[in-house]
Amino acid sequence: MIKIKNINKKFRDIEVLKSINIEVKEGEIHGIVGANGSGKTTLLNILFGHPNILKTGGYSGEIFINNLKSKISRPNDAIRLGIGMIHQEFAIIPEMTVAENIKIYRENTFKLTDKIFGKNLSYIDKSQNYIDTKSILKTFNIDLDPSLKVFNLSLNMKQFIEIAREIDRKDLKILLLDEPTAILNKEDTVSLISILKKLSKKGISIIYVSHKLDEVIALCERITVMRDGEIIKTYERQEFDSDNISENMMGYKVNKVINAQNREFKNILLKFNDFSVDIPGETVKNFNLDVYKGEIIGISGSYGRGNTALSWGIMGLHKTKGEIILNNKKLSNRNVSNILLNGIYMVPEDRRGAGLLLNHSVMENIIFTSLQMKNNFLMPYPFKLFSFINKQKSLDYSKKIIDQLNIKCSSALQKVNELSGGNQQKVCLARAITFDPEILFISEPTRGIDLGAKELILDMLISINKKKTTIIISSSEIDELKRICDRIIEV
Amino acid sequence: MQDRIDIPQIIIIIFVLIMMITAWFANISITYFINDSLIRLVMNGVLVLSLIPMLNAGVGINYGLPIGVVAGLMGMCLAVNFNIKEGLGFILSFLFSIPIAVIFGYIYSMILNRVKGKEEITATFVGFSFIYLTSLFWSIAPFNNPSMLWPIGGEGMRPTIGLKPYFEKILNNLWVIEIQKIKIPLGMLFFYFGLCIFIKFFFKTKIGIASIAVGENETFAKLSGIDIPKIRTLAIILSTVIAALGICVYSQSYGFIELYDAPLMVAFSAASAILMGGGKEGKTKVTHAVIGTYLFQTIYILSAPIANELLLPEVAEIFRNIITNGVILYAILYKNQKNSSSI
Amino acid sequence: MRFYIKTKKIALQYNNIVPIVFFFLSLAGLYFSKMDISFVVNEVIVRFIRDGVMVLSLIIPITAGMGLNFAIIIGAICAQIGLLIILDFQIGGALGLCFAIIIGVIFAIFLGTLIGISLNRATGKEMIATIIMGFLATGIYQYIFLVGYGTFLPFHNNEIILSRGVGIRSMVDLSIFRNTMDKLWQVQIGSIQIPFFMILTVFAFALVIKYITGTKLGQEIKTVGYNHEKAELLGIDVYSVRIKAIIISTVTACIGQIIFIQNIGMLNVYTAHLNSDIFSCAALLAGGASIKKAKIRHAFLGIFLFHTLFIVSPQAGQNIFSNASIGEYFRSFIAYGAIAFALMTR
Repeated sequence: MIKIKNINKKFRDIEVLKSINIEVKEGEIHGIVGANGSGKTTLLNILFGHPNILKTGGYSGEIFINNLKSKISRPNDAIRLGIGMIHQEFAIIPEMTVAENIKIYRENTFKLTDKIFGKNLSYIDKSQNYIDTKSILKTFNIDLDPSLKVFNLSLNMKQFIEIAREIDRKDLKILLLDEPTAILNKEDTVSLISILKKLSKKGISIIYVSHKLDEVIALCERITVMRDGEIIKTYERQEFDSDNISENMMGYKVNKVINAQNREFKNILLKFNDFSVDIPGETVKNFNLDVYKGEIIGISGSYGRGNTALSWGIMGLHKTKGEIILNNKKLSNRNVSNILLNGIYMVPEDRRGAGLLLNHSVMENIIFTSLQMKNNFLMPYPFKLFSFINKQKSLDYSKKIIDQLNIKCSSALQKVNELSGGNQQKVCLARAITFDPEILFISEPTRGIDLGAKELILDMLISINKKKTTIIISSSEIDELKRICDRIIEV
Repeated sequence: MQDRIDIPQIIIIIFVLIMMITAWFANISITYFINDSLIRLVMNGVLVLSLIPMLNAGVGINYGLPIGVVAGLMGMCLAVNFNIKEGLGFILSFLFSIPIAVIFGYIYSMILNRVKGKEEITATFVGFSFIYLTSLFWSIAPFNNPSMLWPIGGEGMRPTIGLKPYFEKILNNLWVIEIQKIKIPLGMLFFYFGLCIFIKFFFKTKIGIASIAVGENETFAKLSGIDIPKIRTLAIILSTVIAALGICVYSQSYGFIELYDAPLMVAFSAASAILMGGGKEGKTKVTHAVIGTYLFQTIYILSAPIANELLLPEVAEIFRNIITNGVILYAILYKNQKNSSSI
Repeated sequence: MRFYIKTKKIALQYNNIVPIVFFFLSLAGLYFSKMDISFVVNEVIVRFIRDGVMVLSLIIPITAGMGLNFAIIIGAICAQIGLLIILDFQIGGALGLCFAIIIGVIFAIFLGTLIGISLNRATGKEMIATIIMGFLATGIYQYIFLVGYGTFLPFHNNEIILSRGVGIRSMVDLSIFRNTMDKLWQVQIGSIQIPFFMILTVFAFALVIKYITGTKLGQEIKTVGYNHEKAELLGIDVYSVRIKAIIISTVTACIGQIIFIQNIGMLNVYTAHLNSDIFSCAALLAGGASIKKAKIRHAFLGIFLFHTLFIVSPQAGQNIFSNASIGEYFRSFIAYGAIAFALMTR
């Protein structure tokens, strides 16, 4: 039914998919499992022609649907080929009704206006859409008024609407699902699985992406394991073995950097009491944690599931509840400059979007925060606000830290945009070191960086920690956390 | 990413060259051209410079330029109303308009800080509506110098107020030296380049660096503890104040204060000039403004005599309009892509 | 299976405030102007006919999430091009009008496509782009008719050419079309004249817009307006939908301008189209539309409110301040201010 041949995909200079080959037969339910960042979602996005793929330079390789070589460069192409996708973030328009959402792009129209004006300018038959929607929801045992606006509904209901939209399609041949059970409870998961089994009996091929292994084993006929953008192994039903598969998923890596284990800490530096952060799609609820002076804590959890919310919350950039206690004092004034002056610094996960001034030089990036917050690197004039930079001092300092961290750049005045991902991350860290915080929050420090640079970054974090900086790392790479953290907390 | 010369700049430069050659054949005197271009550079240049602070702080092009302009007009009207003449009158115009511009700029910044992402369109309409709001003010303003009021009835301001008895060309005629019929208005040029240097240095100070960072990447600036609304407010006030000074310089050179809806479209020629010079959001340099103004004004000066030569005088005006808006549209359509924030 | 329905919040939306403010301003203006009510009603009816279709042309781009389409001014220019070409060839009466419409619409489709393609490069900045496009198009249009005719374009009708032999006069007479539509089915009730045919024409266009929003295309336009990224994931060709929305708008505006000009009976060649965009936008917003949501009832209500204020304010200004220009400045302020206010409100 669908055959993927030799698919490769690069984001900037990082290979995220390496010669992927998968074949899915008619009516087969094929599971794809892998850790976060293994490339599962990217693969689905390629099959569905997600606009981001084209924007980031497209892919190489071939896709065959029914033995026909097919070019999929936008979702519309995929839909014409009979491919449907259940998106993790839902492609639902909340302002529209349930019926409108389910029948979108396939509305029933009046025959008469079809003939006069053609399908596109034909008037929509709302009552027929209503009836259709009602009946498709019935097959899920859902009794819901299709004229309700979707934003009124609960999350799991939205998930079923997303699924109903695809299943309602008469021409559906291949269904792609990206973590469809992430927000469903057990009961709902069971009912989803039975729906999918029915579909496969009708001859629809299903590609099911999930990191919940037991679910995949229960549902799928074959399972492909991905890791770091490569296919590790494809299992047939009779070979299923959850231990083997999960070992495949995690893989075995050389643990070069290992922090001194079993360190003991006494003084509590920072306390989170019932701390909640509300970022759309990324919430932390009632979080409690004592951070001891001098330790490295890992916050693990999959990307986009709340592990980075903590650092954004503490910087006061999003709505929060609960309290933060720093050095036995309640931290009440949480605007960013006050947090920074209290010695808390954050390196965000989105380097290019939030961590760097891409059009500015390495030097300007390194000194920026210290310059603005601590008036370092300024000429000794009385009016600090209108004072000029001490260029010589900044340049000398930048050169020193560039050498120290081994940042590969032509000079301290080179634009950061021209550096590689690993070196950009080093510049981010250099700014943190220059600021010399007491507590450093860092999110996804090794995301999008090649292997060699990863080790260097981790090494660097340990050496920062040795200079008495407490570090809290949020990462979805549990393996790395295990290597450098004193303890790891799951969100 | 590099500061390459863009296609429209090449076109404009070629175009200016063609105009110069045409002017040569049409016997338009070189001295006239040079004298006029230097004066027009400063006359319009200050208004163009006023766009830089907002552009660099990420607020976009200040299509609400009329707000600063009105502040300057009010300052001048106050000076004229008190019948203060010569240099003192001009300096007082500055001093009167600055506090007005600060207040206007502050209120204006409150509006623009509400509408992040659509500052430019909002600024356009705030500027337009402000012109008509102040037109209401001009028609009932309690000024009493009869040379500013309607001769009949004596109420409401005249649309154009002659500055001859006050400070007409006071800056133009300051320290003029003449070299072979070419008059160099040193005082005017000193003022202009002084302002250029002030703006250039402003962006080298701590707060100037912060404002450029806000213009390039707001999240970055926020994470480094910078108070974004404060920086934007400062940039907007600075732009408004410079615009107020700009209209004072313009009016003394032109010889008239023009009230009511005369400044309605002032923002667009200024915007076009700065874009012509290569200005971009977050990284506009003073040189962009200077080059842009000079190119724009060259077109302005040469188009009129050439059109007259062709016996179609209206063409000059229409032509300038097409160029003004063509340049802005090009910038919107081809410079709209911001840095992608994905990994 | 369980699901939860959150209670709907009921709040007074700002959309309601704008019409209320306009209503009271109009009422106050009416009182101070001391104008004859039936005169005002007659005037408003005339303006409803002149401006109605133009205001309706704004609805579809708003639904598509592109904001106020100031480029309807280009639709108006297309109409004037159509009329001028017909005048040049001196085809009068209903036939001429039909030709003018056909030529105008062809231009509108072509230019609408061009605008649409350009706007796909300016996502998020559509409104400022359409304003500048309007200015630019005005410049080019003026250049062609002021310089082109008699130089690189041949003319056939000496009457409309300036005495120097180059360029079209700034004011041309449309007597050859006069009374082709306006006086059809005109009914007099008391001192109020109701031209039924023209009113029905405006209603017919309202119906067309209403019909389009109810079609598959209309549903796609709505989806793109709510969220163009999701619309793309649902298989909708976002770019082509946006282009179609602009074409519909430009064509409607073109027809609106033809109705406007033939109703006046004279064509101000170089200025008739100016401000058609601003006043139409202001009227629509006065009726309670926002830059994200606009309906036909907003258009109709807005025309009545805005034009009542427009008609009475000079006289009101004259009576209160003994200065008619105050009223004129006031109404311009209201027109631009309404748009500025709509942009400021979320």
